[in-house]
Order: sequence, then structure tokens, then C-alpha cells
Amino acid sequence: MFQKIKFFYLSIISILIGMRVTLKNMFVPRITLNYPIKKQSMKKKHRGMVDLIPPDCVICYQCIKICPVAALDLAHKQEVAADGKKVKEITKFTFNGELCCFCGLCEEICPTDAIYLSQMYEVSVFSHEDVLNIDLMDPKKYAHIDSAYSTPEKKPNKN
Amino acid sequence: MADLGALFLQGSAVLGFIAVSAMYLVWLERKVSAVIQNRMGPMIVGWHGSLQTVADVVKLLLKENIVPTGVDKLAWWLAPFFVMVPPVMAFLCIPFGQKLIVNDLNVGILYIASVTSVCVLGIFMAGWGSNNKYSLLGGMRSAAQIISYEVPLLLSITLVVMHTGTLSMQGIVAAQAHGWFILKPGLALAFLVYLISATAEVNRVPFDIPEAESELGAGYHTEYTGMKFAIFFLSEYTNVFIVSSVAATLFLGGWQGPFLPPLVWFLLKVYGIIFFLMWVRWTLPRVRMDQMMAFAWKFLTPLALLNILVSGWALVK
Amino acid sequence: MDSVDSKKENDLRSEELIVNLGPQHPSTHGVLYLEIHLDGETVVKCIPHIGYLHRSCEKIAENRTFIQFMPFTDRLDYLASMNNNLGYALTVEKLLGLAVPDRAQYIRTIIAELNRVASHLIGIGTFAQDLGAYATPMFYCFSDREKIIDLFDELCGDRLTYNYMRIGGVSSDLPPGADKVIKDFIKYERKKMKEYTELLTYNAIFLARTKKVGILPKELAINYSVTGPNLRASGVKWDIRKDEPYLLYDKFQFDVPVGIIGDSFDRYKIKFDEINESFKIIEQAIGGLPEGNPVAKVNKVFRAAPGAEAYLRTENPRGELGFYIVSDGTAKPYRNKIRSPSFSNLAVIPEIVKGVNVSDLICILGSIDIVMGEIDR
Repeated sequence: MFQKIKFFYLSIISILIGMRVTLKNMFVPRITLNYPIKKQSMKKKHRGMVDLIPPDCVICYQCIKICPVAALDLAHKQEVAADGKKVKEITKFTFNGELCCFCGLCEEICPTDAIYLSQMYEVSVFSHEDVLNIDLMDPKKYAHIDSAYSTPEKKPNKN
Repeated sequence: MADLGALFLQGSAVLGFIAVSAMYLVWLERKVSAVIQNRMGPMIVGWHGSLQTVADVVKLLLKENIVPTGVDKLAWWLAPFFVMVPPVMAFLCIPFGQKLIVNDLNVGILYIASVTSVCVLGIFMAGWGSNNKYSLLGGMRSAAQIISYEVPLLLSITLVVMHTGTLSMQGIVAAQAHGWFILKPGLALAFLVYLISATAEVNRVPFDIPEAESELGAGYHTEYTGMKFAIFFLSEYTNVFIVSSVAATLFLGGWQGPFLPPLVWFLLKVYGIIFFLMWVRWTLPRVRMDQMMAFAWKFLTPLALLNILVSGWALVK
Repeated sequence: MDSVDSKKENDLRSEELIVNLGPQHPSTHGVLYLEIHLDGETVVKCIPHIGYLHRSCEKIAENRTFIQFMPFTDRLDYLASMNNNLGYALTVEKLLGLAVPDRAQYIRTIIAELNRVASHLIGIGTFAQDLGAYATPMFYCFSDREKIIDLFDELCGDRLTYNYMRIGGVSSDLPPGADKVIKDFIKYERKKMKEYTELLTYNAIFLARTKKVGILPKELAINYSVTGPNLRASGVKWDIRKDEPYLLYDKFQFDVPVGIIGDSFDRYKIKFDEINESFKIIEQAIGGLPEGNPVAKVNKVFRAAPGAEAYLRTENPRGELGFYIVSDGTAKPYRNKIRSPSFSNLAVIPEIVKGVNVSDLICILGSIDIVMGEIDR
């Protein structure tokens, strides 16, 4: 019986030591933010939705070839201009937000940094079609999404 | 006629207090857990989320009333009442102040102990009536647990009654006019035993096997939705209040105290014990079923009996 | 009268209760379906059903080039993404015979060990939650892991599925000031580990729940090819970083912690010790970081000789992760087989849960620390 009482006493002491840890943590400043009133700012390299700068694109098709899930779709037409030069022009450049896995390979391989991953992470839309065929040539493609990063700036050069 | 009017007023005051206090306790639990876990808890509805429970109850009122097939009609429908009504009945004898008690029965503490034991019927009915293996397991575990921990609970109350010689609640408070009972050695041990048994009685961690969320889904109240679930939920917190106020009355001197009015002292003590129970809840892991039963029968009951033996001998001497 | 009664008792059979610890459950880590046969509250038989997270990873690998498959390896054991990337990159480099710059090797070591720390923190936190300490240790562990994840966010841009390692190096250099951040984190975390031992390891209820529960004997562990912390907790001193060193592990000094009897408490305690050993490795690696360019070129098409094959195993936080790649001369592999540690660890669970309570079953499942993404691939 004496052994049991000693064990009981030690158990109570161990429980009290554990409770002291939680008591100390009551006075530590909060580590969470009251979202959506306060939001955290994303790091510069954060990989969000894909965005494009149309004038920089040289239609090399590298991003289409390297995308592991085939989320990008590009079509172009070639014309001969007045002075005999061949001019390429994009007819369709769509991005499937549902298939994209945000790996960043297209951004890494683009030779002119035309396609890149913006920092937009709050992509909630009301209907499925809004993310299925996002037209990357449209400058207002993300205007209906309520996010701080929906009009993003161009990210700095990689590395 | 005036008697009836006074009774009606007292009854509505108590019922109003119960409703508000249950809602306030839910909010307090969420805030205490948030403070311990370094986060913020409810913040949006009302000041720091104080009206969050009101919003939750309104949501639960509007939910669809799903009755699973194959339930035992009588048991399943009546179970919430058997769980909610006994704590409300126990409020009859809780002394909030010198004259603030509904009816000072001269068997007050015995009445409270016997009425709160009816809750186990409700839990078992809920477990059996739902046509669900998880609920049945939860109900059976709960019945075994509550019945086992009744014994040390009543033994520690017996020690207090031995010291005061009266079963009435106001009498016990009056007997502590010269010193709270927790300061006496034998009664301090009884307080510890009472606190442990009370945690097991109301199914709180570390004894919350009946509603062990990470094992069985939700235990005995899995199949209840909407207002019936709200009744289970609020009745658990009402039970916590009853158990803490009995502890405050029996061991901490009830409503007595130097400067502040008695009601304020009483509420301070009760909420102090409730805060301690919540602090324990968010720190400790759960005890296993067989360890819990072994603890109750092989350790707590002999300890309480030994305590009665030694303190009784000291009293008689 | 007596004989009739005893005969009736022999005729009374109590039936076994079959309970589905179904795919959606708070304490099976992921979508695991356990069919448990209960006799009262004791487990008689346990049959795991897997496949709810199967995404045909190995078949997809046959239609992707070596670089394109890297994001898919992230999603195998999603809690230790960097280690998966590392295993795959090392295997392809062995297949192609590529050399890797020195700085890249050091950075890979640091990052892999940091991810091991993060994964063990999750293992500790979720184990405590399964036992009933409702989320408090889990929140503390997750908020510590947040610092590691923030560093990874600055490094490569993502918080869970990194796609950081490349064949021939890494994808970007460490950001400036990273070594100070890592050193501060190690100092902070060493203090916090003391708090966790006070909160959990010394706690009487925790000890009563985990001591002598789910003992995994040495021979059974070796027969079922259990690897990782589970094997070491049973007393077998086997760590691939020491016995078949890859990367730079033969240059660093660190111990291999070993448990005593292999119960759930040993499996939990060994995670603490491994975190401390990882800190030692990281400190040594940061001390000796060479200069140079760790970035690999990405626009080369890799081709191996037809019929070439390579198998390399690395030490994942959960055990031994192996990649077996067979090439047929084209840019895409012919076969990519992944040997995942959690698959073998799960296979030993029906053996060690015979005769325990349902509560102990949950405790054992939490201590073995499986991730369904690896099992189903």
C-alpha cells in the first residue's frame, strides 16, 4: 500500500509539472492571426497561380513540354509581314487551374521569364468553370477573385 | 398566492441563470483552450466571440431533425431529458448567498448526490437506443465509469458530513465560518479525491472515454443532431457547474468571504474550480478503460475509506 | 439442476463484433480502413484495407521524363517531401552517372535533415493527440514546425510539396541569412524539447498508456522488413546513413539511437533522440558549407543506356525509401518502382494488435507513424 501511495504522489507531481508547461504557454503572445481581418504577407518566391506577360513570350513551347500535368495549352499562327519577316502571334494560351500542381517547372524553364507563378493563393470561386480555362492573355483574368495578389507585380529574375 | 408567485420568480431566475451560465461556460472553455494553445479562439461574434454560443445554438435549432432507422423509440427520444433534467433539479439546493437558495432542504447534499446519479440512465439509454455499435460501446463504458466513481465521491462527501454533523447545505457553509475545510489535512485529501471523482462523473478528460473522439467518433451522442445534441452538450456544462459548486460549498467555504458580496465570492470560487478543471482537460491525455476502473476500485476507494477511518478516529478522540 | 445450467452456459456463444475503423476516422492517419474483430473490447483480428489514395504514381512515371516526375515524388510521403525528392534525384544520378557540385550536396544534407525534424515533430504531436491530449501538444509541435516551413517557403516557394531537388543539384541556392535562421531555430527548438518532455514524457498517464503496449519483437520486425525508427526502437542498430552512406553522411559524426524493448514509448522516445542527432548533423554541415553554385541545369534531356537499371535506398523519416529505375534508352524510364517504408510498417500491425484493447490499437497505430500517401502511391 505504501508503494501505491508513493506512486500516486509521484504521479500527481508529474501531472502538476505538465500543467506548469501549459500555464507558461498561456502568457506567450498569440501566434495566429485573425484571418480574414489580418492576413499574412506571402514570401516573394511563393508559388501561387500562373500568370503571363504576353509581350515577353517568344512562343518556344518549352513550358508546354515540361508541364508534368499538361495544364498549359498554347496555339499560335504564323504570318509573313510586309517586309518579308515571319511574325508569330499567340492565338490561344489557356491554363487549367484544376490540373496545375504548382510545381514551378514552367517558370524555371522559360527563357524570357514571361510565364511565372504569382503569389496569389486565395483562389475561391463560385463556379468550377472559372478555373478550368483561364485565358492567360487576358489582363483581367483574376479580377473577379478577391485577393491581395490578384494584380501581381512581375517577380524578380530567378535565383 | 404570494408563495406561488415567489416560487415562480425563483424558478425562472434559476432557469435563466442555468441557460446563461451554460452558454458562458462553452465560450469560456473555447477561450481557455485557445489561450493554452497559443491561438485566439472565437473573435468575431460579439466582443471576443462572447456571443458565439448563441450563434451556435441558433444554428443547431435550425438543423434537420434526423431520426436514424431502427432506433428504440422510447429510449432514444427520452434520453436527452434524463440527461438534462437532473442537473437542473440539483440547482434546488445550491447556496448562492445567505438567503439566495431556492429551498434549503435538511437533506441537501444527499438530495444533490442522488439526483445527479440519474444522469447515467440517460447516457445508457442514448447509447442503447441509437442503432449503432459505437454508441453502444460508448454507453456501456460510460455506465461502468460513472457507477464506479460514485463510491469515492460519496465517501469524500461523507467525511465532510461527519465533520459538520448536518446534511443541509447552508449548515455546511455555516460550519466553515472559522476556517475553510480545505485547510484541514484529512479534508484536503478528501478534496483531492472529490475532484478526481467529479472529473470522472462528468466525463471530462482524463476520464472522457465515453466520448473519446479520436477512437469512436463521438460515443454515445453520435446519432443526435440539432437541438437534441445541444441538450447533451449544454447538460454536460451544467453538470460541471453543479459539481464545482458542490466542491466550493463543501470545501472552500461557500459564499463566505471578507469584503465582496456573497454572490460574487461564490461565483469566483466556482469559476476558479471550473478553470482548474478546464486547465487539466487541455493538458492531460486520456486514461484507458481498464486502468480507470482499476484506479477507482483498487486505489481511490481504499484511500477514501482509510481517510474516513483516520479522520473519524481523530474526531471521536 | 447444476448440470443443466452448465450445459446452457456452454451453448451460449458470445459473438464477435466487427467494427469498421473506416476510411474516414480522426485517428487513422489518412484514409486507412481497418476491419477489427472485437470480442468485448479485445481485438481478435485486424485486417487493413488500403488503396483509397491510389493515384497510379508508378504508371505515370512511365510517361514522364526524369525531370517531370519530380513533383510526383513530393506527393508520396507528403510530410517529408524533401527526402523523397532526394531519394529520386540520387537514384537518377546513379543511373546516369552524373556528378553533383559539393555545395549542392551540403545543402541537400541540411535540407533533408531539417525535413526529418519537421516530420518527427508531426509524428510526436499526432501521437499525443491520438492518446487524448486534445490538440495541445499538436499545436505546440506544429507551431515549431512552422519555422522550418517558413524557411522552406523562402527557399523554394512552397510549404508542403517542394519540388526543390533537381537531377544534378538543387533548384536554387540558400537565401542570404539562412544559416543564422537555422542556428536560431536549433537553439529555440532545443529549449522547446525540454518542455515537451515535461509535458508528455514524464506524465504518469502518458507512461501508463504507452509503456509495454504494442511490443514489437526483434525477429518479427526483421522478418516483416520493418525499417526506420520502428526497427531501431526494437533494438536493431541499423541506419542506412551509417551502414550504406549516401550523400555526405560518412563525413559527419552522429549516433544512432536504439530502443530497448520496442513498445510504443520507445518508438515515441526515439523520435526525440533522432531530432537531437539531426541537429548535430545540421550544425556540422552549416559549419563546413563550401562556396560554389549549387543550381542544376534543367533544360537537358537525360537519356540513359538501354537496359541500365539502378536501385538506391535512403533513410526517410519513416524508414527505408527505395527507388528502382529501369531505362530503355528513351527519355522516359521503362519502370520506376518505389519501395515505401510505411507499407512494410503497416503490414506488421495485424501481428502486434492481437489481444489488446481498442484504445491500445489506436495508440499502436499512432506510434508506428504511417502516411497513406506512401502506402497507396
